[in-house]
Amino acid sequence: MKYADFPLLGRRPFTEFSISGVLEPEPAELGEWSAARWVFERSSVPRERVEWWYHGASRLWFRVRRDTGSDVILAIEPARGGPRP
Amino acid sequence: MSLRLLKYAFIEDYAEPRWFNTPATLRDSYDVVIIGAGGHGLACAYYLARDHGITNVAVLERSYLGGGNTGRNTTIIRSNYLTPEGVAFYDASLALFRGLSEELETNIFYSERGHYTLAHNESTLRTARWRAEVNKHLGVDSEVVDADAIGRAVPGIDLSCGGNHAVEGALYHAPGAVARHDAVAWGYARQASRHGAEIHQHIEVTDILVEHGRVTGVVTSRGTLRCGAVLSAVAGFTPGVLAMVGLKSPIEIFPLQACVTEPVKPWLDTIIVSGSLHLYVSQSARGEMVMGASLDPAELHSRRSSFEFVSALADGMLDLFPAMAGLKVNRQWAGMADMTPDFAPVMGTTPVDGFFLDAGWGTWGFKATPISGKTMAATIANGRDDALIGAFNLARFDDFSLVGEKGAASVGH
Repeated sequence: MKYADFPLLGRRPFTEFSISGVLEPEPAELGEWSAARWVFERSSVPRERVEWWYHGASRLWFRVRRDTGSDVILAIEPARGGPRP
Repeated sequence: MSLRLLKYAFIEDYAEPRWFNTPATLRDSYDVVIIGAGGHGLACAYYLARDHGITNVAVLERSYLGGGNTGRNTTIIRSNYLTPEGVAFYDASLALFRGLSEELETNIFYSERGHYTLAHNESTLRTARWRAEVNKHLGVDSEVVDADAIGRAVPGIDLSCGGNHAVEGALYHAPGAVARHDAVAWGYARQASRHGAEIHQHIEVTDILVEHGRVTGVVTSRGTLRCGAVLSAVAGFTPGVLAMVGLKSPIEIFPLQACVTEPVKPWLDTIIVSGSLHLYVSQSARGEMVMGASLDPAELHSRRSSFEFVSALADGMLDLFPAMAGLKVNRQWAGMADMTPDFAPVMGTTPVDGFFLDAGWGTWGFKATPISGKTMAATIANGRDDALIGAFNLARFDDFSLVGEKGAASVGH
């Protein structure tokens, strides 16, 4: 089982998280792009990318920087400052 | 080792034919270069020669023959898909599979087992009825059966599923089959080679030469070759090959894992799939239980195995077949699945003249091996998409005409 240290949560197994999409800035200008290309085109080659990870039990979101070639986690930060009181 | 080989093994002028020929040197130019010596690439080489007389063909493989997803799938063949395009395509593939042992003069151990897609709730059963009606309308043997029928046909199954998610019925597809995947690749290699195609292992294509929007050659680890057409048939490495010609696609790479247990006496003579439990199982001719689950949860370009996979698989499998609790897992492996947003392949012509694509095979590629080879050969020979694959062209993502093949994957993704 793979674990990582998450801010606010401590050491948790990856199986507790849903991985839901990549943080990719929208192109500044969509003129040359068709809407379809922006929706569908991917660059699925090994690379570092930032993903949204959701922890269901605590309802916390994280931004996780991961290498999609080696599966190594490079950085984890909470999506916002911390849990609400 | 055959007796004939033992008899002649150390006689120098021994002339036992090889399965396929590999000349020591590459030619300067080929009509067609096929990247990837998996089932799809080799089948295309064979049908290019058989159907179209194109034999100046090189199949280039970075690793070894059939070592990618061809040798990593769980060998299930079926045609009970959901869209008319999918059903027509996969049913044509199944028809080719049935005659393939004779055609290739290679026993592919094609074995019709029947295929149950279990439904554990009303909504899954409703989808099963939908699929059965589409299938029957299109002439495919497919029907919904109730839990009693499953109980009679499948020994050892716990229809209450541990009391948690009782089996209410199933989509039953009598022609569902398994075959030896290595034999399919080697059979196509043998016949393609007999027709004159060259199969080169351990040669990597590092770039594709394009001049004025047209493919003119490939750069390989053994030098540059000229060619009139290139087919990419590399499954999980497709995005990298597309980058060589400046194309992008919606394909994303996810690992798909599988495992086999130690061999036991034959007891399960059918194929069982549960989308709700995310698992499937059949028994190989050697007696191993061949098992798989759904995709890994995130994009990854690696064939590593994980404990998470076998652990979750065992959880569901023991709900369904409690008697398997003592079976030991012998081997576990992974393949890199090239997933598409609509669960249909990406095949045919591309915006680059002479560059053809056979990709997007995700978790449904092995069963399409013969028909993908045949239709891609026709597409390359004629320079336009074969009628069976018109709906699968890369251009469908530009005009939002997706295929919506939810029946493609046995288990949920």
